Amino acid sequence: MRVSVDPDECVGHGRCYVVAPDVFQPDVLGHCVVIRPEVPEEFETAARQAAAACPEEAISISS
Amino acid sequence: MSQYQNPPSGTPAEAFNPFDAEIARDPQKHFKAVRDETPVVSTPPPFRNYVVSRYEDVRWVLKHPELFSSSAEAVPIGQDRPLIPLQIDPPEHAKYRRLLDPLFAPKAVAVIEDDARKLVNEIIDRFDGSATIDFHDQFSVPVPCTLFLRLMGLPQEHLDQFLTWKDQILRADVDPEDYDDASELIKAADAMRRDAGKQIYAYFSEAMEERRTKRTDDLLSYLVHTELEGRTLTDEEVLDVCFLFIIAGLDTVTASLDCMIARLARHPDERQALVDDPALIPGAVEELLRYETPVTGIIRLTTEPVELHGVTMEPRSMVTCLLHAADTDEREFPDPDEVDFEREPNRHIAFGAGPHRCLGSHLARLELRVALEEFHARVPEYTVPPEANLAFTPGIRAASPLPLLIGNAAKES
Repeated sequence: MRVSVDPDECVGHGRCYVVAPDVFQPDVLGHCVVIRPEVPEEFETAARQAAAACPEEAISISS
Repeated sequence: MSQYQNPPSGTPAEAFNPFDAEIARDPQKHFKAVRDETPVVSTPPPFRNYVVSRYEDVRWVLKHPELFSSSAEAVPIGQDRPLIPLQIDPPEHAKYRRLLDPLFAPKAVAVIEDDARKLVNEIIDRFDGSATIDFHDQFSVPVPCTLFLRLMGLPQEHLDQFLTWKDQILRADVDPEDYDDASELIKAADAMRRDAGKQIYAYFSEAMEERRTKRTDDLLSYLVHTELEGRTLTDEEVLDVCFLFIIAGLDTVTASLDCMIARLARHPDERQALVDDPALIPGAVEELLRYETPVTGIIRLTTEPVELHGVTMEPRSMVTCLLHAADTDEREFPDPDEVDFEREPNRHIAFGAGPHRCLGSHLARLELRVALEEFHARVPEYTVPPEANLAFTPGIRAASPLPLLIGNAAKES
């Protein structure tokens, strides 16, 4: 599973890096940075929850 | 806000006024009918404006600043110029956010956590064994306001003055009985705001001058000395940021604490869950932000005719995005009236959405989490006295007073 974030859509709600800190972390602005674009299996559920938690729908998931 | 006077009683649903005092008392139950029946409410002149309430509609408005401007005309609150960055539209807006966001990013605000925890405990120490407290005056106001003044580098003894200015702007207290008609009332409220605004500019002009000669380790010094695109900020830019910080920093966390504790005090099972398992608190902060959405709505101004649900909003219409109604919309949140501290997903927009999403949200979250953690550790038993009839201010929902029975008095009630 791969995840990516659209930097034009992210405005720093910060839900993703709270829900899935092993996949997403804040940058200096508080916006999302993907730290594991190839998501290890153990974090897949959390990554999906994080994508669903984004009010801007800025996170994409592909298999 | 004076532009939203109550409609005469018996007016049709089209005149739904989300800033009515009765609605503010118990807002959630009023929103479903509005979302279902009139997703775009239009209010007749002289208060020509529209109210948007469904989650997807609110999000859509906030994500299209080219159609829905956040310019100063949308919210005239006594300012001479647009507040920075709130009242600057994209693309100009981004350069200010790049400058200011790092000050309020999660890692930046984390450094105040220990100080915040210590302060919350000192403030609880001052309850000094009383059986009843006014949570608003004795906790909700001092916690965030003290932290805010420390961050800004402003003297604590000026707090009352700042609170007066902030209230004159956000809750311009003019008595409708004193005025013959609505336009006179609006003028009087506007004059009060402008006067407070002038005093805020004058205060910060002086404080800025002091920081120019003597740099200190605080936000105000940072603003005076930082560089934006190779130059320092102008005096006006610093003032326009400070004006916003006063309005935003001294009111919203106070209101959020009022909303959250009032809810928990009246729902002992939820309160007890947090006492028993403090690990629930970060989720509780998000869920209570969703269900209570202390900032009821935010206003935008249309830049061109925009049609939504068959209603054409003419250019320069005021559009109120009802965040609270959006956050309780069953189209987005299953069982929206169930408060579930472990709700996922929880895409609430209590901090807004789109480019203007709240600059201070990570600071607010930290303060709310630390406040709830320490309060429940120290004051696990509390309740609202049965005779109390809590009232919340419309708009930004503070409860003053918020009487609480605490300790044994709460158990016995």
